[in-house]
Amino acid sequence: MLKVSDIVTAYGKIEALKGVSLQVESGKITCLLGPNGAGKTTLMMTIAGILQPRRGSIRLDGKELAGLSPARIVSQGVALVPENRLVFPQMSVHENLLAGAYQRRDRGGINTDIERMYARFSTLKERREQMAGTLSGGEQQMLAVARGLMSRPRVLLMDEPSLGLAPLIVAEIFDIIAELNRDGTTIFLVEQNAHMALQVAHQFFLMEQGRITFQGTPGQLAEDEVIQRAYLGTRRAAG
Amino acid sequence: MIDLVQNTIDGVMIGSSYGLLALGFTLIFGVMRKLNLSYGPSIMIGGYLGTVLYLQYGAGLLAVAGAVVVGAVITGIYVERLCFAPMKAGAGIASMVSSFAIWMQLEQVAILILPRHTYAFPALATGLPLEFWSLLVRIDHLIVLCCALGLAAAVQLMLYRTRFGLGLRAIVGNPVAAHLVGINVQMAVLLAFAGASAIGGVAGFLVLAVDQQITPMFGMWATLKGLIAMMIGGLGSVPGAVLGGLLLGVLEAHSQWYFGPHIRDLVAYLVLFAFLVLRPGGLLGGAPETTTPLKA
Repeated sequence: MLKVSDIVTAYGKIEALKGVSLQVESGKITCLLGPNGAGKTTLMMTIAGILQPRRGSIRLDGKELAGLSPARIVSQGVALVPENRLVFPQMSVHENLLAGAYQRRDRGGINTDIERMYARFSTLKERREQMAGTLSGGEQQMLAVARGLMSRPRVLLMDEPSLGLAPLIVAEIFDIIAELNRDGTTIFLVEQNAHMALQVAHQFFLMEQGRITFQGTPGQLAEDEVIQRAYLGTRRAAG
Repeated sequence: MIDLVQNTIDGVMIGSSYGLLALGFTLIFGVMRKLNLSYGPSIMIGGYLGTVLYLQYGAGLLAVAGAVVVGAVITGIYVERLCFAPMKAGAGIASMVSSFAIWMQLEQVAILILPRHTYAFPALATGLPLEFWSLLVRIDHLIVLCCALGLAAAVQLMLYRTRFGLGLRAIVGNPVAAHLVGINVQMAVLLAFAGASAIGGVAGFLVLAVDQQITPMFGMWATLKGLIAMMIGGLGSVPGAVLGGLLLGVLEAHSQWYFGPHIRDLVAYLVLFAFLVLRPGGLLGGAPETTTPLKA
């Protein structure tokens, strides 16, 4: 569905992505693992159009996204829930959701979707008039997810939704991710928390120093010895 | 006592034009967090366009007003394209310095168009001042006050009741996230700039029509008054801009009455200084993050 081919993105002379290729399949949860500085966020920002790739193509059902403006990419059906959430702090929860639907003109549909978000995320409903900057980290993450969904994306990109959250909240976020997927949303997730990701994702990619170094199913990932040591923290069996 | 009240009224009237200037200023600063020093000179170019139409072709008051606004908007867009659009998000200083360069350029253009120092500008309203219980209010001043309050209300409604206003506030809140929800940030910033220049054009027209003259110094005057009023009222706040303008006007009126015109500007700068030290966010603006006091 979403096909990234040979993407090179650079900051000045430093190439953060050195020819990245991967596919996100429709209806699945695809997870990108990797250490800090591997280029995971750079890839997300490139797909969303915030960064321009130097080379390569990004296709959504065959339609080229590379080179389009972020606004055009949103209207094509790709929404990014960014790292650190980036809610609009001086706007109410309700206004944040309205901003998420900025590209849409169907008032009735927008209101229906906002009610749907309130039904799914009950804390957001309780705090609908509260400034987003005053929410807790977990609540802000839920708001960021709901805001991303308000554009009715065909693919939802999520950049480290567990970052800086307490374990209980992380579990809640992953429940939501699984639930969204069951309802038919295609999800492309960046995570460092491999344990949590293993529970929900269908397909894995590992990125190191700007390159994809592993791809496979959760089963293959769990079997891979190198990955076990580096990302799952399990000790090698004695002998 | 009657002097005190009359001075306050005069101050409010003069201050409403400062408030209008600050309104445009605060719209640009609020959205971009960058200072546009060419704001006043852009308005001045609009003023010169109006003066040329008035002197050469005998244009009426409304046509002159339209010319000032259109001239200010076109020049404002020119400044935005040249000094703001090409600069990276964090490069506020580069934008400010280049807008200073354009200021000089615009002043020279004005001098080339009309080389004498002072030219006549059509009057806004003639006739005797209105009298209420032996207090005098000039009709043209009253028009300026109504325009200031009306435009401030319109801007506030635009910001808090429209889709475009929601987009602008999202850009203020987080420009990257604004891109991510699908706002065309470059276009929204350009439109905000054009709108701010149009408000500045209205302000400039009203001030010039009250003074009935224009000089190349008008650009600097407009930038300074707008800037001080904005700083006093609160950066990026619409009610703050009007309030700051009115306060500055009243302050100037009283200090002129008690100490004379030379001391007047000195008092204005002193008050600005006091605000910068004691309340850097202004009356209604939240203190900007850069002014967080250093912890020992």
